[in-house]
Formats: sequence, structure tokens, C-alpha cells
Amino acid sequence: MRRWIWLSVVAALAIAYPLLLSSPFQQRLGALVLLYAIAASAWNIVGGYAGQVSVGHVVFFGCGAYAAMGSYAKFGLSPLIGIPGGIVLAVGLAAIIGVPTLRLSGHYFSMATIAVAETMRLIVTNTEWLGAAVGLSGPTVPRNVFDLSFLSSLPYYYLFLAVLAITLAITWWMTNSRMGFYLRAIKDSERAARSLGAPASRTKLYAFMLSAALTSVAGALYAMMFGFVDPESGLGILISVKILIMAALGGAGLLFGPLVGAAILVPLEEISNSWLGGKGAGLTFVVYGAIIVLIARFQPGGLLSLFIRRGKPKTDTGAGHAP
Amino acid sequence: MLLEARNITKAFGSFKAVDDASVTLEQGDILGLIGPNGAGKSTFFNCLTGDLKTTSGRVLFEGADITDFTPELRAELGLARTFQVPQTFEGMTVLENVMIGAFLRSSHRKEAEAKAHAVLERVGMSRLADAPARSLGTPGRKRLEIARALATEPKVLLLDEAMAGLNAHEVKLAIDLVRDIHRSGITLVIVEHIMEVIMSLASRVMVFHQGKEIARGSPREVTSNPAVIAAYLGTRAAKAAAGHTPVELMGGPDL
Repeated sequence: MRRWIWLSVVAALAIAYPLLLSSPFQQRLGALVLLYAIAASAWNIVGGYAGQVSVGHVVFFGCGAYAAMGSYAKFGLSPLIGIPGGIVLAVGLAAIIGVPTLRLSGHYFSMATIAVAETMRLIVTNTEWLGAAVGLSGPTVPRNVFDLSFLSSLPYYYLFLAVLAITLAITWWMTNSRMGFYLRAIKDSERAARSLGAPASRTKLYAFMLSAALTSVAGALYAMMFGFVDPESGLGILISVKILIMAALGGAGLLFGPLVGAAILVPLEEISNSWLGGKGAGLTFVVYGAIIVLIARFQPGGLLSLFIRRGKPKTDTGAGHAP
Repeated sequence: MLLEARNITKAFGSFKAVDDASVTLEQGDILGLIGPNGAGKSTFFNCLTGDLKTTSGRVLFEGADITDFTPELRAELGLARTFQVPQTFEGMTVLENVMIGAFLRSSHRKEAEAKAHAVLERVGMSRLADAPARSLGTPGRKRLEIARALATEPKVLLLDEAMAGLNAHEVKLAIDLVRDIHRSGITLVIVEHIMEVIMSLASRVMVFHQGKEIARGSPREVTSNPAVIAAYLGTRAAKAAAGHTPVELMGGPDL
């Protein structure tokens, strides 16, 4: 019951935010928070719940971003048409990466995802058809509403809010299904999970594919809002790291963890960028590094885990032979 | 024939941890695998469950060849196991741990939850259903392993040193639980160090030494077998024991 009250309060605040804080900067900030929350929530499915830390998630982000911009730049269609294409690309790529690497222990998977993402960035940078280093642009002047090209951040804000709600609903549904239970079990002990009949490789692969699909949607939305994509903004390793840190900071494996992480990190980055101007880019890496160290040392469960009590800890007194 | 292993060999490099071991298991059996440390009984056990790939030999379940089956496929057929070092799902409650087993036969959360509650009731852990599994001590964890395995509704349950680390009282309770499980129609394979457990439970025993099967038969038969005594206690002790009752010499049974 209390959970529903909390949920309603958060939802009401999210809906009211751009109306209460209505300066363009604040609205844009709100939209960016939601956008990164979508990407981080998508990452959370495989990184948080399944415990498979992907450091190359930007590759799926890029699939969506390039598919959305490509459908306009190459075929003159609405960027929206590119979204299903981006999803198909991302899911296919996830299967290609996942089948060989998800059988291995976590580190190999992390390294393989970095390798694939960096390879993709280099390939795209050298592919003329995809705009090479310049990238692809969306419609400069919107032809109609389906081009999703707005001057104000307000429409993006509500669009992103809706997509985030869908993403969280899918995640919630998953955690309450057999798949979600299996993922948590596999994360704790893959060997035991398999001995109880959980098909570990297949379950992780499905989670990875689902995560990739949602991440590609985030990428498409990102490209639509900014009106262009280039190898750095669509396939740069920094985006992977950003997504990962947001989820870890808020609480990986918790439904609202990524949203909390995004709500902290995005404003931090935007403000430091506006203070430091162009010099801020290098500093961002330093700040991320520091955050990784702090989370790992003090709160591996993320900030949100501070507020969540999972049952009362009982000490073992004769546990196991209850009357 | 429920479960059969034919000429199982498991080599790690040039070292044969299990050398040409065979066994058959009939419905209703309680098969004990014993032997000194490093004898190969755990390796053999893991070949049966699919955790290890055999170097050569076949494993058959209800007549079908399952040698190349993964552990999860074997679980689906009705093989369940516990681990010597409990592999508790630390991030879950006791109930959720058991639900992972229950999900094998029922894909819906509510069903799995109801089944898990029933299993916890059966093993006497209902009271702890909502406790975090990481708060359990060794006896609780060992029992939880058994509960989880039971929730998969197995035909054969393989227990890997389910009593190790328990005190005498706890061992007695665990033996009662295993007897109860056996009465419900589940066939058992138990790997055990504690002789009294084997003596009081097993209908047949297979003794390993240095990767090879050195004896098989009823618990009484194998414990009076000179080769077994020699393997456990050395050849001098075996000679000295020739005039005594070997069972007593080996510390059991006194239940």
C-alpha cells in the first residue's frame, strides 16, 4: 500500500516538473534525466538483475540512433520509422555477442562488449554511407509532427516520460516472472541455478536481447532530440560508462535505481559543463572514475539500497531444524 | 533401471579421478558412495549430475542416454542435487530460494510460491520462509539445499555430503528428513563421509579408492571387506582388524 502512495507521488512530481520549473534549461535537463534513465534502466536488466556487466551498451544505443537518423537522411522517412529497424539491429547484435560470451564468466563478457562497441565505432567512423566522422542529421525543419523535431524540450520530456514508464513496467513485469527469479538466482550461483533447472545461458541471452532492444529505443530518442548522431555521441565509450555508472550509483538490480542515478548525475554533468565550458569534457572522466571508486568502496548496492530493507536480518539460532 | 552409469572415466590431464566406474540404481534404492578423501566419489557424483563432462563412458536415465545433457536438462528429467558447499542464493529469502526449484514445474509465480511454501512446511522451515537466506547458518543452508532440490519434484535426489558440518543432533534430524524423503518414493544417492549416516541409511554401498571401485554391497558387507578397511585405515590396521568386528572399528552403527 505504502509503495503505491510513493509511486503516485513520484509520478505526480514527474508529470508536474516541467510545468513548475519551466525555463528551457530546466525542461531540457528534465528531458535528459528521463532519457538517461531509460538507457540506464534498460542496462539494469542485464547489468543489474542478471549481473552481467556490459560496458559496451552504447553499441545498441548507436543502433537506435543511426537507424532513426538513417531513415530520415537516407530514405526521407520519419525518424520514428527507424525505431523498429534499430530494435531488430540491436537484438541481432546482442545475440551475436551474447551467444559466445554469456557462457563465460563475467569479465570476458564485459571485455567482449567493449571490443564490439569500439569496433563498431571505428567501422561507422570509416563508413561514408553512414556519414563517417560527421554523422547523420535529422530534419532541420520539421515537415510534420511525425518528424519529432521540436524547438521546445517539453514534448520530448513527456515522450521520454512515457517511454520510461513503459521500460519500468516491462522491467517490473520481468522481475516478477520466472525469468526475473532465474536471473537473480543465476547471479548468485549459476551452478546451483542450473542444477535446479534454470537454463542459464538462454535466460541471460534473453535478458541481454531485451536490454539491447530498450537501449536502442533510448538511442533513437536521443538522436531525435538532438537532431543528429555522430560516432562520438552515438557510439562513444563514454556513453556506455555513463549508463553503467547511473545504474550503479542509484542501485543496480533495483527498479528505480537507474532513475535515481540519472537524476543525480545528469544535472551534475550539465551544471559542470556549463561552468567549465569545453574544458569540462576531460573532467567528466575524472568525476566518473571517482564515483566508481566511491560506490565500490562504500555502497556497492547503490544509493537506493540505503532506503530498502529486505526483511529483518535474523541470526541463526537452530535455523534449519524448526519444530 | 532408473539411473545407470556405464564405465565412467573422468581424467584431469593424465590423472584419472574416476577410473572405469559403473553403477546401477533401481527405483527405491538408497545408494551410498563412500571412500577416503580424494577417492573420486564427488567427481563421479558430478558426472552423474552433469556438472562435469565425462572423459568416457555413458550415463543413462530411464534407459535414455543423457551423457551429453546439461545439468538443467537433467533437472527437467527428474535428477536433483545438493552441493557439498551450500550454493545458497544469498540475495533472496528462504522462500525465494525454494521457488527457484519450484519454477521448474510451474511457470507462474503464485503457483511456484504455493509449492515452495508446501516444501518448506515439509522440511520444517516454514517459520523461516521470509528470512533472508544469507542469515542461515550451516544446518539451515544444508536443509535449504534439500528443500530447493525437492521443489523440482525429482525422481532421483543426489545428496553431496548433506550432513558434513552438522553436530550429532543435527545429523540425526537430517537422517530423519532423508528417510522421510525416501518414504515419499524418491530414489537417493548419497555421498557421505560420516559412516553412521551410510550405515543407517544406505541399502547399497559403493566404495571408491584412488578413482576405482574397490567394493560394493550392503553396508555390512563392505565394512567387513578387508580392501575397504585397508583403504581407510591402512593395511596394518586391516590385518589387526581381522579378528575384530570391523563395523565397530569404523565407528558405527550406534544409532
